[in-house]
Amino acid sequence: MTFILTVISGLLMWGVVVFPIDDYLPRASSAATDIDFIFRFMAFFGVPILVYVNGFLLYFAWRYHTRKGDDLMAVGSDIHDQPALEAAWTIIPSILMLILGVISYLVMPKYYLASAASVATIEAVGHTFYYEFRYPGLKHPVENEMHLPIGKQVTIDLTSSEDDIRNAVIHSFWAPEFRVKQDMIPGMIVPIHFTPTRIGTYRIICTEFCGLGHSEMVGKVVVESQADFDAWFKSQQQLQASAGMQGPIPIANGDAAAGGRVFATKCTGCHAVGPFSERKVGPGLGNLFHDPDHPDLVTGKPADPDDVADVIEHGASGDLGTMPNMQVNQLTDKDVANLVAYLESLHK
Amino acid sequence: MSIAQLQAEASHAHIHPPPQGFIAKYVISFDHKVIAVQYFITSGLFFVLAGLLAELVRAQLMHAHNTLLSPQTFNEAYSIHGTAMVWLVIIPIMTGGFGNLAMPLQIGARDVAFPWLNMFSFWLFPPAGLLIFLSFLYGAPQAGWTEYPPVSLHTPGTALWCAGVFLIGVSSTITGINFMVTIIKMRCPGMTWTRMPLFTWATLVTAFLSAIATANLSAALAGLFIEKVFSVPFYDPANGGSPVLWQHVFWFYSHPAVYIMILPGFGIVSEVIPVFVRRPIFGYKAIAYSSVAIGLVSFMVWAHHMFTSGLSRWVQLPFMILTMAVAIPTGIKIFSWVATFWRGHVRLSTPLLFVIGFLSMFTFGGVTGVMLASVPADIHEHGTYFIVAHLHYVLVGGSVFTIFAGLYYWWPKMTGRLLDERLGKWHFWIAFLSFNATFLPMHWLGLLGMPRRVVYYDPQFEPTNMFVSISAFVLGASMLIFAYNAIRSAKYGKIAGPNPWGGRTLEWMTSSPPPYYNFAEIPIVLDGPYDYGKPLPYANISQDLATEPVA
Repeated sequence: MTFILTVISGLLMWGVVVFPIDDYLPRASSAATDIDFIFRFMAFFGVPILVYVNGFLLYFAWRYHTRKGDDLMAVGSDIHDQPALEAAWTIIPSILMLILGVISYLVMPKYYLASAASVATIEAVGHTFYYEFRYPGLKHPVENEMHLPIGKQVTIDLTSSEDDIRNAVIHSFWAPEFRVKQDMIPGMIVPIHFTPTRIGTYRIICTEFCGLGHSEMVGKVVVESQADFDAWFKSQQQLQASAGMQGPIPIANGDAAAGGRVFATKCTGCHAVGPFSERKVGPGLGNLFHDPDHPDLVTGKPADPDDVADVIEHGASGDLGTMPNMQVNQLTDKDVANLVAYLESLHK
Repeated sequence: MSIAQLQAEASHAHIHPPPQGFIAKYVISFDHKVIAVQYFITSGLFFVLAGLLAELVRAQLMHAHNTLLSPQTFNEAYSIHGTAMVWLVIIPIMTGGFGNLAMPLQIGARDVAFPWLNMFSFWLFPPAGLLIFLSFLYGAPQAGWTEYPPVSLHTPGTALWCAGVFLIGVSSTITGINFMVTIIKMRCPGMTWTRMPLFTWATLVTAFLSAIATANLSAALAGLFIEKVFSVPFYDPANGGSPVLWQHVFWFYSHPAVYIMILPGFGIVSEVIPVFVRRPIFGYKAIAYSSVAIGLVSFMVWAHHMFTSGLSRWVQLPFMILTMAVAIPTGIKIFSWVATFWRGHVRLSTPLLFVIGFLSMFTFGGVTGVMLASVPADIHEHGTYFIVAHLHYVLVGGSVFTIFAGLYYWWPKMTGRLLDERLGKWHFWIAFLSFNATFLPMHWLGLLGMPRRVVYYDPQFEPTNMFVSISAFVLGASMLIFAYNAIRSAKYGKIAGPNPWGGRTLEWMTSSPPPYYNFAEIPIVLDGPYDYGKPLPYANISQDLATEPVA
């Protein structure tokens, strides 16, 4: 019997090894390969457990079941402990769990930690019931459809409608083909990191119930070559320009001196007027527009005044911590313009 | 202690006069056996309602863009289905139902420690259920049984829902304390810890879990209620609350609650197997102590429900490891149960069939549970139909199947009559096959990208969902067989006699149903309950009841 069950589970385990997960759910990110490996590993060792438990159960129930004419008062074996066997079924699963724990632990940093080569930080905001994606360099967000260049690590800062927090609920960002999921929680900004590895159009699905339109909250993500991505990016810029959309906060005619006063009361708690590396809570801002150390944005160009205004308006999150948005900092539009002017004036 | 000393101890117990009149006997009853039946009937009614809600959900999901239900009705249906199944069906049946029915008998007691509290605890339950279902009138909660804020604050019925679940929580806490004291203080003379039946062991651990964990549910609900009604912010970030706070406090209760729902089921399995296999249970101590281990670890795994809630990975790590650790005591139990079948004299009666079904399905649910414990894999599976499939494998394949095993097994102790075996076997086979046809494909749906709690879905999943829905209707219909069997047994059921299955635990050492005082004389226990082939290990049991007839 043991032999038959071993053959069955061997065949099924072989089936687990060769099963083409990729054909059913393409692997489109760096993390997907690792996560599929873990899944396969668990299925591989789950199969013999299922086969032996069910197999022995059915075999014993059939082999020892009472038949017509048997003495119903008869009793079975009186063996009620078998230390070696019990030790085996305690120790073997423990070892398997330990190995699984270690493998899982080794994979975890891959989507928690961005490598230094992260090329883009995009903000994804969940609304009822759509996704909004904010690209650095685009003055306005794009809705429900995000584009990513292939092979570039991307960081996505996830949150939920902070501009209308009174109705904000928890959403979720699930891209099954990337094997990536993270809740979008109002009041929290959580970054995720991955590298798209396959060209195609994939789904983004909300998996936290968010209201009547929850099931309709589906976006898409287009992974394309760098050239296609650049073309898309440019077309978005032109589209927004031709639609006459202006930057959300006018930053022309900022008063640098007034900005300096605002900076002294609102910003110096976290930022020094010095080189980027001079950190208090956030980086030094003395050379913001020209410092090569400043994290470059998606276009790879130095920060421009619009980007800076955008960060002051919406806040930011990175590996140093989270910067609150302008409502929290109690800044007016005029303050933002003045601050940008002030920061520009710092570079000599 | 010598038998003489035990006899002296047993003779201290006295019999109270039986209650008189319909109200005292059947309504405001202090008798644990009557209260058990009250729980079964009330939970049975809620089971019908919750089941119908599930069938509504499945009817809507037959088509990708079905117009049968509005999104609001659909959301309310699955939310109250989950709420009712957890708090109005499984938990009350497992503790108030089976705990009350079997535990005092198994320890040779005349009743629980606090009969008045037992009555009070039951009478909190019907109003609680009523409040939860009344929330439909106001617009029931829509965010599932977990009711994550802030979205749960947007539905008006949330306040009633909170009040209802809160009451159930109070009832559960009281029952937990009551059972704890009963098992610790009221075991009959000679019943040492290692002579205690395994169902009582499971009830003991469950009682600790109910008494300790439920307070956290009450705290979470109080916060949600106060926020909903008085706008004092706890969870809504718009006013400075934290939505993740609810998840922590809620799951700090609701993970142990998973074991409140399954440990008594484990106990039923441990009782049924030795009786129908007619040999000592394999690894008595391992099974008993693994219940305790599961109970302890269950308090330290709650955040595995929150791996996508933005916890730091240093927080996730211990929760992942401890969650995986739960698999080890659970595995020990399953392997011990399977080993008990080895060289037994297996009678494939209905209770044992349900137990075999349980072993098969719960093992499957256990394997998928480990898949959900691993953080990277859970990231993909969280919030999808994979979860729906997993939780139904452990709560229906696990809890509900053990409930039916227990019902077929202990039915004579409630009614004096047996349920029909032929109908029971039809019930089992149809339920078992349709259950797997309903929930097995859901794993696949979830992995491929179908999120849970959606009224409309990607049309590529339509054929699978159609199959699942039809199977769910069959599963629902199989319950009609049980209902028919139960009603029919009142008139046509075979008279059971005190011990129809040839059991050796104390509940079979008295008539069916037992008299008001359970035992004319308090029994004396001389050895463990599962040693088939040896003489019965009891004194003070009248001889005609102690024979071992076999149905």
